[in-house]
Amino acid sequence: MSDEADRDLLAAEYVLGVLEGEDRDTAIRLLADDPDFARAVEAWQQRLTPLALQVAPVTPPADLWQRIAARTEQTATIVPLHRRVRFWQATTAGALAIAASLAAFIVLHQPAPTRVAVLSPLAGGAAPVLMAIAEQNGTLVVRPTAQIAVPADKDLELWQLPQGATRPQSLGVLPASGKTLDVALAQNTQLLVSLEPKGGSPTGQPTGPVLYGGLLTTPRG
Amino acid sequence: MPTSSATSDDTEMLLRRCVSGDRGAFRLLYDRWGNRLYGIALRITREAALAADATQDAFVQIWQQAHRFDPGRGSAEGWLIGIVRYRALDIIRRRSREVPGYEAEDREDDAPNALTRLLNTAEGAALHRCLGELEEDRRRLVVLAFVDGLSHSELAERMSVPLGTIKSWIRRSLISLRGCLAS
Repeated sequence: MSDEADRDLLAAEYVLGVLEGEDRDTAIRLLADDPDFARAVEAWQQRLTPLALQVAPVTPPADLWQRIAARTEQTATIVPLHRRVRFWQATTAGALAIAASLAAFIVLHQPAPTRVAVLSPLAGGAAPVLMAIAEQNGTLVVRPTAQIAVPADKDLELWQLPQGATRPQSLGVLPASGKTLDVALAQNTQLLVSLEPKGGSPTGQPTGPVLYGGLLTTPRG
Repeated sequence: MPTSSATSDDTEMLLRRCVSGDRGAFRLLYDRWGNRLYGIALRITREAALAADATQDAFVQIWQQAHRFDPGRGSAEGWLIGIVRYRALDIIRRRSREVPGYEAEDREDDAPNALTRLLNTAEGAALHRCLGELEEDRRRLVVLAFVDGLSHSELAERMSVPLGTIKSWIRRSLISLRGCLAS
């Protein structure tokens, strides 16, 4: 049997739910690492879903919604959410590009910027996608270092979260091309970017996922 | 016939609204799907507390990952059901690893009746036809696995058949289903 056919059967067994131990671990690892395997799993899921729809619905415990609401409200504010990066396309060259553009920026803008932040996906793993430079005169310059794709019905919003604060302060909507603004920044602060409805958060707090963040620090050397 | 293209679109729309942080849409999604996902989780875990945990985890994941749902790759129902099934399976597989000798309580096997309900949707009717092409005991294996969450070794024990035989029966049934559903 070909590898591909073998993989498809492994996907089928995974969806069916029969795998145990090492085979199951292998399938879970492939699901994360191998897009073809993930597609095979989705295809099998679609094939077999009608069987699950045969199971009679049952009323869940009365407090279940409260439990779900409590857990999702926490994550709606500031806790980094995993794998929201699909809207963002951080190129693998991002890490190199950021070093190069940062160097150019420092050379072009004398005197040296007071503080710099590199904003990376909070889910970890991917290259930085934005950098921010806070100059002494209160100008904050935010520039992308990788291409950022924002859904047409969404906007990015920039926030600062001063050390010790529990709620971020909005610094306004952030175009994917970056922006320059005049702003009073706290001495020790993180910059965060969340995905919001068009026009920015309606509540004054992040309502969508907090995608990127970084600490504003004085660059060394 | 095809029941629910309207319902399916609605579910898709609710998921899209969840992506933008719409709590009201999330609540509607729970109202619409909570009973069904809990029923599926209960069937697999066979314990109310475990089923509630699986359903809770599933909804948290749905809220956090709604942006990952891609209508080009499958239906919203399939996506939601997939999430709750894997959460429920995780819980019982972990449980059987951590609690030696743990065995969920057996339930009556009502699979044969359940299958007739497949005829309610077009996709279900195709699956029903293709399951019908399997021998009866093979069909039962597929249902016990998918609906009741039995693993290879649990199926072997239940059917009093060697593990290797079960594995090969399942593989052949899956190959047959794949071919039949593609035709």
